[in-house]
Amino acid sequence: MVIKKEVAISVQNLHKEFTLPQHKNTTFKQTVVNIVKNNKKVTQKVLDGISFDINKGDFFGIIGRNGSGKSTLLKLIAGVYTPTAGQIMINGQLTPFIELGVGFNPELTGRDNVYLNGVLLGFTRKQMGVMYDEIVAFAELEPFMDQKLKNFSSGMQVRLAFSIAIKAENEILMFDEVLAVGDANFQEKCLQQFEKYKAEGKTIVLVTHAMGTVERFCNRVALLEYGKLDFIGDSSKAIRRYNEINQVAENNGLTKK
Amino acid sequence: MKYLHSRNRAILGEMVRTDFKVRYQNSMLGYVWSLLKPLFIFAIMYIVFTYIIPLGKGIDHYPVYLLLGIVIWNFFVESTMIGSTSIVARGDMIRKIRIPRYLIVISSSMSALINLGLSLIVVFIFALFNGVMPSFSWFLIIPIIAELFVFAQGLSFLLSALYVKFRDITYIWEIFIQAGFYATPIIYSLKSLPSQYTKFFFLNPMAQIVQDARYVLVTKTSITVWSTVHSIWVIAPFLVILAITVTGGYYFKRRSKYFAEDI
Repeated sequence: MVIKKEVAISVQNLHKEFTLPQHKNTTFKQTVVNIVKNNKKVTQKVLDGISFDINKGDFFGIIGRNGSGKSTLLKLIAGVYTPTAGQIMINGQLTPFIELGVGFNPELTGRDNVYLNGVLLGFTRKQMGVMYDEIVAFAELEPFMDQKLKNFSSGMQVRLAFSIAIKAENEILMFDEVLAVGDANFQEKCLQQFEKYKAEGKTIVLVTHAMGTVERFCNRVALLEYGKLDFIGDSSKAIRRYNEINQVAENNGLTKK
Repeated sequence: MKYLHSRNRAILGEMVRTDFKVRYQNSMLGYVWSLLKPLFIFAIMYIVFTYIIPLGKGIDHYPVYLLLGIVIWNFFVESTMIGSTSIVARGDMIRKIRIPRYLIVISSSMSALINLGLSLIVVFIFALFNGVMPSFSWFLIIPIIAELFVFAQGLSFLLSALYVKFRDITYIWEIFIQAGFYATPIIYSLKSLPSQYTKFFFLNPMAQIVQDARYVLVTKTSITVWSTVHSIWVIAPFLVILAITVTGGYYFKRRSKYFAEDI
């Protein structure tokens, strides 16, 4: 299978099922009981045959209602989950941000945490050394970096974690609902950084409920509904379709009552 | 591939560094505890087994002999206990980032390995004070430690993957460790047992490792698998290690794809 040069991420006929045992086999006794009683495992289809391509330079949005499979899709692309069936091909270096500040340790200094987090995300210490000053400057935390993280306020911690994410220099960046932290001033700074990435032609994948952000940045949007691809294409059409689905769901909810 | 390599090394290095920095946070003596703990355990056992229950009679350099046994056993306990819970303990990481799962298990036993290194320095110094003649055979401790590390690693892979599914594992393993302590000649000497049974003791790789380490470091009178078994079965302890490591590695590899959803 040859990936065309301009494709950054290619998802083909992706399926993901989770097994939900009625009684989770967490002890031997439970396992034996489940085998004896022949308790069948229940599987839940979360993604059901999804295919799409994300091109290089795309600012790609993934939207959908709660439980539509967005986060699962992102975790599959990030390589955290293994697909039940189907394929994901990634062309380039990808840094996923499913949560900010993974591995942050309150007993370490701010500086150590930046390196730790960066290394866990796939950078080397050397690469982090190059990015370090910019990250700290962006977070506006220069005077505090030799303090232990536990002495940071929660706002400062989030700002630091977010700055690592947004200053991570890689070809493909992926964010799961991690925007909108900090005060208005900081948020605006983040949005400006996104503008910059867009201008530079970086590939960004964004999972979000914030339609304003989608409208402002995304050139292509995938809309998921019940684990299937409902719509893919232009952002304003996608948002319109998303609102329709929400409206229908709301009406159904009302009629059921 | 080369990128992957340097990346994995960076992750391993960073995790070990964090473990070490955090481990003795807020304790005044810090790293010194890595040395003090085995020394105190040793002191207690030495008093008990020299003056109260004299098991050490007739063993050359019994204090060093005992200390070395304790140090090796401590490494085994520490690395397998921490190793077995390592995957679940780092569950947040596994669910959120893509790092090779095996690095988590290896990093958890690295700090135990560093402790072992520090403790062995104490053993060396102690040996010199006790009148053990230094010799080139001391260097043979390196392959023995390597063997011990591989064994502990193999077990950690097996136990940590099992622990994701069955949380009973740690309790079961604690019992094994208790039994293992007495099945391994740490406080007593194999000489004190009827000689027709000694060969069966070497089915336990820990017995072979402890006795070999004593042979190269402390006294040539240490009964080893080499001096006991004179057939092809001399490889039995190594076969046990190989079997456990291959099984553990295979099972871990198969299960590791699903750690993120199973934890």
